[in-house]
Amino acid sequence: MNRIILGAMALLPVAAALAQTPVGTAQLGGQVRLQWVGQSASSNGPLAQADVLQSGLVDLPVGTAALETELRASGHGLTGVVTLQQQRVERGATENRAFVNELYAAHDGGAWQFSAGKKIVSWDVGYGFRPNDVVQQDERLSLIDSTSEGRPLLMAEHFNADTAWSWVWVNPSAARETTGGGEPALAARVYQRDGAVDWHGFARVGAHSGASVGAALAWVASEALELHGSARYQQRVDTLAVQPGASGVLPSDPWQGHTETGVKQLLLGGTWTNQDQISLLAEAWWDGTALSDAQWDAWAVRNGQLGALATLGVPAAAVAGNLAWQAQAFNVSPNLRRSNAFLRLSWQHEGWQPALSLLYTPADQGRVWTASLTWQGDRMQVQSGLRAYGGPDSAVLMQLPARSMAYVASTWTF
Amino acid sequence: MKTLRFTMMVAITLAALAAQAQDVAALLRATDKYRMNAENLQVETQINVHNADGTPDKERRYTVFAQAKRQSLVLMKSPAEAGQKVLMLGDDFWLLMPNSQRPLRITPMQKLLGDASTGDVATMSWAEDYSGKLVGEEACDETGAAAKQTCLHLSLNATRKGVTYQRIELWIGKVRHEPMRADLYVLSDKLAKQARFVMDKPAAPTMVTEMVLSDQVSNHKTTHVRYLSRKERQVPPEWLNPMFLVRNPPLD
Repeated sequence: MNRIILGAMALLPVAAALAQTPVGTAQLGGQVRLQWVGQSASSNGPLAQADVLQSGLVDLPVGTAALETELRASGHGLTGVVTLQQQRVERGATENRAFVNELYAAHDGGAWQFSAGKKIVSWDVGYGFRPNDVVQQDERLSLIDSTSEGRPLLMAEHFNADTAWSWVWVNPSAARETTGGGEPALAARVYQRDGAVDWHGFARVGAHSGASVGAALAWVASEALELHGSARYQQRVDTLAVQPGASGVLPSDPWQGHTETGVKQLLLGGTWTNQDQISLLAEAWWDGTALSDAQWDAWAVRNGQLGALATLGVPAAAVAGNLAWQAQAFNVSPNLRRSNAFLRLSWQHEGWQPALSLLYTPADQGRVWTASLTWQGDRMQVQSGLRAYGGPDSAVLMQLPARSMAYVASTWTF
Repeated sequence: MKTLRFTMMVAITLAALAAQAQDVAALLRATDKYRMNAENLQVETQINVHNADGTPDKERRYTVFAQAKRQSLVLMKSPAEAGQKVLMLGDDFWLLMPNSQRPLRITPMQKLLGDASTGDVATMSWAEDYSGKLVGEEACDETGAAAKQTCLHLSLNATRKGVTYQRIELWIGKVRHEPMRADLYVLSDKLAKQARFVMDKPAAPTMVTEMVLSDQVSNHKTTHVRYLSRKERQVPPEWLNPMFLVRNPPLD
């Protein structure tokens, strides 16, 4: 921790000097963030079971402290954002990492705009889930706001007063076999403003996953109410599934690449805000890329079988390894369950924003509660909060490695 | 005969009402010229918020592109808000955050955020948004030098749904029609703020240099909205497209 504080102190004058340095028409700036996340491990779920059987085999959730310095520069048609990160894992070593969030060249042709390089391109209209975020595919509902890492792309856009067209070739140099966010793909979006409604149309053709189409809208229905919706249909989705017939302790990972066809995603939501700046956001979504109820049932049965095998004399290490593989189910899709509901109540007052949110999975009554408090000053922002997982022990959310989290992050902008 | 008399009375009343409405519209257009002296403007604005005890609270800088047809683009320039933008196209509003590639469609209620709402900063005219009646001649204020001046008192109601204030009681100079003060009411007809206008030359005013807003609802803070400079400028049409603005293009 001391090294982190020292590192931060060393970077502050450099950052401040950078912010005050005029370099032609270039703009320099950035932010320094000191953050701490504490986690308590769950006693439920395959990873907890694996740890009981073979301590040290799997990484259980631990607290982390991190210092991040984000530097931004733009000018002469070039934009760059880099992040320097120093992270200390509880009872572990300090890790240093530097990465480029964005580095791209842009050409301003008036109504035509062109970009090439690594760039963040985030689409769609939802808060908790964005099915049509087909280029960036950002993580949603994260604890602490931070800048995403862009993707390599070539992009052309055309704008007039009410319409915008975007064409993107994302991951142009990636191998055709690459799956997930690194898959090479062509994507397009059209935006049309129509009074109180914003219309969006999306299309994507992935080298491996094929075609998908989508549409979204955001509508200001009244003085206080905004409604939004987003839908997407995908020809194919690259995902993970357990090999058919997998049973008992296996010598190799039974989770293998799998292709789902005809996958649908849908989100509906709205935000209501009153005169006192109290806001209620409500969203419900269906994510056909998540594991089905039957797959989760089979997953739970297999977890139980593996746990029982450990008591029948099967080597603990083998059972623990098989249980650890079971945790891959948590990463199959951005959503654990296909049906989800989300509520967020917040209040904006004098630089303070307290908020309380609930993510609910009706299929198994799992819940994620998050309470947060954000304070925004002139250059400083402090975010803090607590997240807790709830519901029946059988709920998938209760099988996750962490049972609760607490976080504090302080960000200084220069 | 009775029917004819009744018809004539109705016609005269309607004509009188129409004439008064026309008068109010003309008065508002004259008053607007003290804040927006051209159809398309770039206005550099500074806001200083003071607490109820007079101590300074915060300072903010904005660049406002106030354009014809009730179109405005507000660029936040202060460190706390740097990179944020608010786009207002008629009754439609978007908030653009610097770290987000997604314009947020916001409701008129969400536009009220802050001590001086974005609406206070971006709205430079009343004639297109309000209609009303001339209440009569009154002292411009109850106390001070303005108490000796005579003002026209206009009672205005919003004609559009997206405006920040639903009702405005406005006092303007009787001779030159410069804005003097205003009581600003929100949708619930609650008095939200009181505004006073500072002119460049009190004896022969040509423009508003400052608007002082006193909060009447919650924190009783005072907000000074200073118009540092105005220059005529029409922005390219794509600057008023929210999808263009999320690219964070240079807009100076």
